[in-house]
Amino acid sequence: MIYRIVFLVILCSFAYPMRAQLTGDMADESRLYAATKQVNQFFRRFNGEEDEKGNRYYPRDKNYRSVKLRKKYLGILFDESNSGITGDLKVQFAKAVLEKTPPAVLDFHGPNWFAEVQTIFTFNGKDQTVTLFMELEQDHGGSKWVISKVHADMFDPYFQRDTTRVGRFIHPMSHELDFMNLRKAFAATDSISQFTVKRFRPDHLSVFLYEVKKGNLKFKQVDHVKFHFFQIDGWYFELSQFNRAGYNNGWLISSLVKLSAPNDKTLLQKHLYYETK
Amino acid sequence: MITNKSLGAFVLGFFLAGAALAQSGGEISPERKQAIDSLALEKVRDLSKYISIIGNKKTPFSEANRVMDRAEELFTPESEMGVSSLNRKEVTYYKVRKYFERLMALNYDRVTIQWYNIHYISDLERQPDGRYVGVVTIYQRFEGVSDDGLKYKDTTKKDITIYVERKKTQIQGRTVEFWDVMLGDIRVTETSA
Repeated sequence: MIYRIVFLVILCSFAYPMRAQLTGDMADESRLYAATKQVNQFFRRFNGEEDEKGNRYYPRDKNYRSVKLRKKYLGILFDESNSGITGDLKVQFAKAVLEKTPPAVLDFHGPNWFAEVQTIFTFNGKDQTVTLFMELEQDHGGSKWVISKVHADMFDPYFQRDTTRVGRFIHPMSHELDFMNLRKAFAATDSISQFTVKRFRPDHLSVFLYEVKKGNLKFKQVDHVKFHFFQIDGWYFELSQFNRAGYNNGWLISSLVKLSAPNDKTLLQKHLYYETK
Repeated sequence: MITNKSLGAFVLGFFLAGAALAQSGGEISPERKQAIDSLALEKVRDLSKYISIIGNKKTPFSEANRVMDRAEELFTPESEMGVSSLNRKEVTYYKVRKYFERLMALNYDRVTIQWYNIHYISDLERQPDGRYVGVVTIYQRFEGVSDDGLKYKDTTKKDITIYVERKKTQIQGRTVEFWDVMLGDIRVTETSA
């Protein structure tokens, strides 16, 4: 009975916003069935690889990745509270996914998706937010999550450099004096970033590893996790977890962007990685 | 040597030895996956049962301690519970034993722990060390009442790590392979149910 209710929820959700609320234990349970409880379930629902009870479909099963099933599931995989994801955008996205030959699927082991993990570390006794960007890497026939990039606001001042004014520099004949003026250059630690090459891009991951190894940076907790997907050609979406009343719950698409221009993807990735320059 | 905790896995592995399809390329066949899922769920149900007994105020202290020992045997060493609530975003990490001890010591006169008839089992992914890992999600409803009528209730989602490993044992000179399932870290989050 519960499964029927949940599937009805799934069937109806693409057509109109959910309004009905059941009461009591029954409502709770159907809500939990409707929720996309794991990222794994998001993949399976997106790809049409499980039934309404969460039982996996395999390639030999009739409904495995069936377009009909995927249409039903796609409707419940968006955050309904986000008015920025318009009905028209969802339809365009659904078409881009399902009307391709063969239809597009998400690949857990594939490239072009990564996790953004917001953590708290203590640095010199003070809580600091550190964002870890993580991706899956193949290793010894298995796979593992690895840190690909790090961003921490607290590291930014280390690299600040004003390029608009002349500022301090090491003059072009310094080599003739065995760079003896480096002594003066390094005396003022605040200005040392002025002596780096213009193309230098700060790497917070290296600083992060150094500070952790030195024992200055200590892990406290994970605050927030979300995922970024570029696996569907011409589209980006963000996956976030929602814990709230109602049926539109669990891991849902919280942001959807159509990538129209050729460099949209690069620009968006730079933005996500805090690479503003 | 087969221990109590791996007996179920052994029996299952032995039973399935002739029935399951052959594996290829390190992939687990759908039939094998279903059998492993059943075993994982059996362990999760054992854990649920133990949690209910440990949390029950009528359980004598000695019995609760015995059950805690049994519950601990379900887990790989160093397993932890990461607990957060709707009001408190901070995650508190407990060793499994500590979590059980805190549950036993909760300051309520009556405690009711119920489990929703729902679970979700992820795919199994191969780790670099050759073991497989998956996550089983279950939901628990907790209600604690003190004699002065104060009531606390919550519903928590428990995402339970399961490790699946292929092991070998000798039975009457024959080497028999079986799949063992152990529980690992558990993330406990309060839901707004």
